[in-house]
Amino acid sequence: MTLSQAEFAFVSQLVRREASIVLAPGKEYLVEARLIPVARAVGAPSVTEFLADLQRRPNPQNQRKIIDALTTNETSWFRDREPFAALTDVVLPELVKSRAATRKVRLWSAASSSGQEAYSLAITLQENLPPGWSYEIMGTDISTEMVKRAETAEYSQVEVNRGLPASQLVQYFERVGAHWRITQSLRRNVSFRLMNLTAPLPAMQPFDVIFLRNVLIYFDVATKRTVLQNVAKLLRPDGWLFLGAAETTIGIDDNYERVAAGRTSAYRVRTGAPAGAARRG
Amino acid sequence: MRAMVIDDSRAMRMILKRIVTKLNFEAVEAGDGREALDLLADMTEVPDLALIDWNMPNMNGLEFVTNVRADPRLREMTLVMVTTESEQSQIVRALAAGAHEYVIKPFTEGAMIEKLALLGLVPTGANS
Amino acid sequence: MSVEVEVNENDLAEMVEQVWMSYLDPEGISPLIPTYDENQPSEVHSSVSITGSWTGHVVYASSTAAARRAAAAFLAMEVDEVSQEDLSDVLGELANIIGGNVKAMLPPGALLSLPQVMLAPENTTVYPNAERISGVYGLWEGEPVSVSMWQSRSEKKEEA
Repeated sequence: MTLSQAEFAFVSQLVRREASIVLAPGKEYLVEARLIPVARAVGAPSVTEFLADLQRRPNPQNQRKIIDALTTNETSWFRDREPFAALTDVVLPELVKSRAATRKVRLWSAASSSGQEAYSLAITLQENLPPGWSYEIMGTDISTEMVKRAETAEYSQVEVNRGLPASQLVQYFERVGAHWRITQSLRRNVSFRLMNLTAPLPAMQPFDVIFLRNVLIYFDVATKRTVLQNVAKLLRPDGWLFLGAAETTIGIDDNYERVAAGRTSAYRVRTGAPAGAARRG
Repeated sequence: MRAMVIDDSRAMRMILKRIVTKLNFEAVEAGDGREALDLLADMTEVPDLALIDWNMPNMNGLEFVTNVRADPRLREMTLVMVTTESEQSQIVRALAAGAHEYVIKPFTEGAMIEKLALLGLVPTGANS
Repeated sequence: MSVEVEVNENDLAEMVEQVWMSYLDPEGISPLIPTYDENQPSEVHSSVSITGSWTGHVVYASSTAAARRAAAAFLAMEVDEVSQEDLSDVLGELANIIGGNVKAMLPPGALLSLPQVMLAPENTTVYPNAERISGVYGLWEGEPVSVSMWQSRSEKKEEA
């Protein structure tokens, strides 16, 4: 049994819409292989019937099972490395001066997916903040399944092979069966919630650093603009915004200016432009 | 640059050789730690990198690492364990013995290249 | 002594999938398609034995065609370039890798043997003193492939 084109299209649209997963053509067999156990687990006689049923009657739980089964985790830890180096070498030293009164930093991993970015940020902060400092990291994603997965903080062997130094693996993770789980001491500083970046965002304390990486590429220019405006409202006036390697605010939102940050670039709110609730540093 | 691939599985040696060759290393191979040390003793130019399995006859990977780290002549070699042994305590032991990095089998080519990049061994632009 | 062990079929399936992703199907276009058919035929197999805190075997079994395809993928060759030695090496290493990952989930103190490879078809049950406790059964490009875990029935260690 092979997935029909219509079935593949249905699944592709579902995962793209709900979890920003893009299924390339040629992946039909992989999708089938991943969905067979899902159909079996819910008692459906076949993948065809499982999908037909889902199309007739939306079932969020089964939808999430599909998304879960199709999330190949090829996300690296410390993805692209340079933004994390910039955080260590440029941003944190500055924050250590400007936040000396509170000795606390707040970071946001927007579109946190399965959590590698948020936990990579946590490891970076854990290793580079001076004693006596605390940090909070919020990860948000549009997918409930991703949020739950990130909260579980469990990763497979192939996932922890990706860009994570072995010394950090043994320091910040514990084995749980065949998986590795982030230790409690790191997890307690990281929380995850559902959020749609294209909609008005809930009011909250602004952030010192926002990672908005490889999210804007999925949107058209108008939506990119909306997202950047929404995000600006939650960025401290002297805060830092990091985008993906191929992304920029230039031509989209004049309220940001690009600045050098180590060997990469970051974006800061242009002085005079509206930004997050005015607060003293 | 030169890389030494040390594993008692010929098939695994072929996979590792393929990856390092892609990264412009000249590859040499050995089937166990003892053979690898003997080869190293005869080399005028010490390899930059060694990819080392743990479980091998004659001399296992951990013993090999310990021996290498005790030899001033081999100080510049970067040592990466590549093994199925994945208990936390074993990774700690290997790192404590002087291994610089640790890759758990099975590994994708991308993951191996990323690990080598962490060690500064990948020429920029060579990432797959 | 064999301890009650928590290595379920999902765990095994995940390990098998990771081997496919890493060495046999890196492009993600040719996965192992589950059939759940424990009685599917096989012609060749390789295994590692586990002793110590758990006793049993981890077994790879498939048709000859699938095995040759696996060797070709692993070694980046064409199927008709694969020699018997290549086949033996690759099947042994597959058993070693999967066995090693299974071992990581067992209580500490488990030891892995060197792999054994059988390239001739066998009709009899391969492990008469063991019972199958878990297995992944599927078709890879239409050819049967399975990975199974067998636990020794004997209560005592084989060697005093």
